[in-house]
Amino acid sequence: MATGFLTDTTVCIGCKACEVACKQWNQLPADGYELTGDSYDNTKQLSGDTWRHVAFIENPKKKRLTGDVDLVALAEDVKEDLPNGAELDGLGRWTFMSDVCKHCVEAPCQQACPTGAIIRNEFDNVYIQPDVCNGCGYCVPACPYGVITSVPEDGRAFKCTLCYDRQIDGLEPACAKACPTNSIMFGEVEELERVAEERVKQLHDRGYPQAFLYGTPEVGGTGGIGGNHSKFILMDVPETYNLPENPFLPQDKVAGATVASAVAATVIGAVVAWAFRG
Amino acid sequence: MGVSGIRGSMAEETKRNGKPETSHRPETDPKRDDKNYYGIPPIKRAHWTWQIYVYFWIGGIGAGSHLLATIGHLLGWKDEAFFRTTKYTTLAAMTISPVLLIWDLGRPERFLNMLRILKLRSPMSTGSWALSVFGSMSGLVATKQAAEDGLLLGDNFASRLAKLVPDRLVSVLALPLGLYVGAYTGILLIATSVPMWARNWLLMGPTFLSSAVSSGLSWTSLVLHLGNWGESKTLGALKRAERVVLVIEAILIAASLIRMGKWSKPLFSKKLGPLFVGGTLIGGIAAPLVLLFGKETRERSILASVLVLVGGFLFRYVMVVGGRESADDPESYFSFAKKDGGRPEVSGEGSE
Repeated sequence: MATGFLTDTTVCIGCKACEVACKQWNQLPADGYELTGDSYDNTKQLSGDTWRHVAFIENPKKKRLTGDVDLVALAEDVKEDLPNGAELDGLGRWTFMSDVCKHCVEAPCQQACPTGAIIRNEFDNVYIQPDVCNGCGYCVPACPYGVITSVPEDGRAFKCTLCYDRQIDGLEPACAKACPTNSIMFGEVEELERVAEERVKQLHDRGYPQAFLYGTPEVGGTGGIGGNHSKFILMDVPETYNLPENPFLPQDKVAGATVASAVAATVIGAVVAWAFRG
Repeated sequence: MGVSGIRGSMAEETKRNGKPETSHRPETDPKRDDKNYYGIPPIKRAHWTWQIYVYFWIGGIGAGSHLLATIGHLLGWKDEAFFRTTKYTTLAAMTISPVLLIWDLGRPERFLNMLRILKLRSPMSTGSWALSVFGSMSGLVATKQAAEDGLLLGDNFASRLAKLVPDRLVSVLALPLGLYVGAYTGILLIATSVPMWARNWLLMGPTFLSSAVSSGLSWTSLVLHLGNWGESKTLGALKRAERVVLVIEAILIAASLIRMGKWSKPLFSKKLGPLFVGGTLIGGIAAPLVLLFGKETRERSILASVLVLVGGFLFRYVMVVGGRESADDPESYFSFAKKDGGRPEVSGEGSE
């Protein structure tokens, strides 16, 4: 049985309850009081101390509403021509996305880890054994989503555990439990895929053809990752959410690179031998 | 025009200069576009500090020196100064390298966890094993050399035991591992999501290896020249080898740059550009080649060796530090991680 997340960004209200619940349950330190100054998002990104991060995406593509418009009618999805050619783009204008470890099917961090500290646990989640990790930091640049991060004060790398401890006790992860709009759903991956498919279809029917599911083998796996166990329903191109369009599995190139190096070693060895013979 | 009109006029009045402002206007925020998220890097850079590129350099010299010693043995050379230099160099390099690597760990006391498992798809794992085994084998060879040089405090049991080491056999068996130590540092870089490294997956290992061998040759040549030790035949052979290996290295770096394309931008940045172009390309390859192909003097050889060694160090420095800049650049990563972006050789399993 594989468990995972489905994060439906269309119903996220940016309350950050998931960030707080995650910090509390996992006893993660605060990030300080730094202000970014260019957005309302002062957490900025996932890190070794922040395993859930709510991105605040402001999408100002559409014009603002002006003039005498019946906002109630608009909210109830009454389609009519608006003055000055303006459009109301409720979902695209002000979007939140609660980011988290993607729990890749073929996880690059797990393949990179030289100590075997990063494993797949019995819930098929990607889990770092903190008692094994020696802090080499090689998993960090391997992650195609910038999730796993070294914590300098501790030395080791950390990321979302998908609340392994809570799952063992039959509880859902803290972030999913705290989410007031059910934007974060936790469950079996297959079940979540069914929910996602339904929701994307619903969004398409309601006039949002841009809605799609991120983390499927088509999006998160053509480079060998094989999809993600935490998926996201997005309303824009992945880059808007700071996600790559087509991540790849770096370790796919190791065999080829090793063969190339072996060929080079043979050539260079032969050349040196030739030079030494005179 | 209501709100948007006010915003427009405010934007005109405000001076930007790329500095964050107190008022927040997403429409005109220069950092805000649909191609990334406020310029925040989508991937994380490696934490690796100076120990790593110093290790890449010293480990390379050790690996290169071992190649020279082994070939010298196989060709039946008798130049004792040459074997002393190469073997002790490898021993010293393989002693310093683990120290640097363990130093860089977040939890140095757990360094042995590297050897609790072997993962063929993790260059960090295979490299740790290769370094451990190769280091031990080259240590055996150097110990025999030390015994023969009388450095093991005369004719005692340890010294007699060390003299029993079949050094040629051990050297030959250790050679593949030694060459891997020289090359895997490049493979280590390509097996990541950092666009500048990952893009050059085919040639990074060979380039690091060629640089390791050229550094090993230059180091050996430098030591022999400075001490006035080596036979002239040895010095001539080293020079011939330096020439050819430097040409190979130049070709590999050129091909790597072509392969990296626009993702090689960090190598030519304001900070790294002078070091890479001036230090590695001109100072570390072109200038030594001119010196090595010109008139033969001791001074010219020494200068060429120093230049190659400095260039080899700067090559590793700009590659590691350039990878940080590459990881920090959202445009670079997003254009690389596209369906038909930087990786044409990936076979498409399906498209939307």
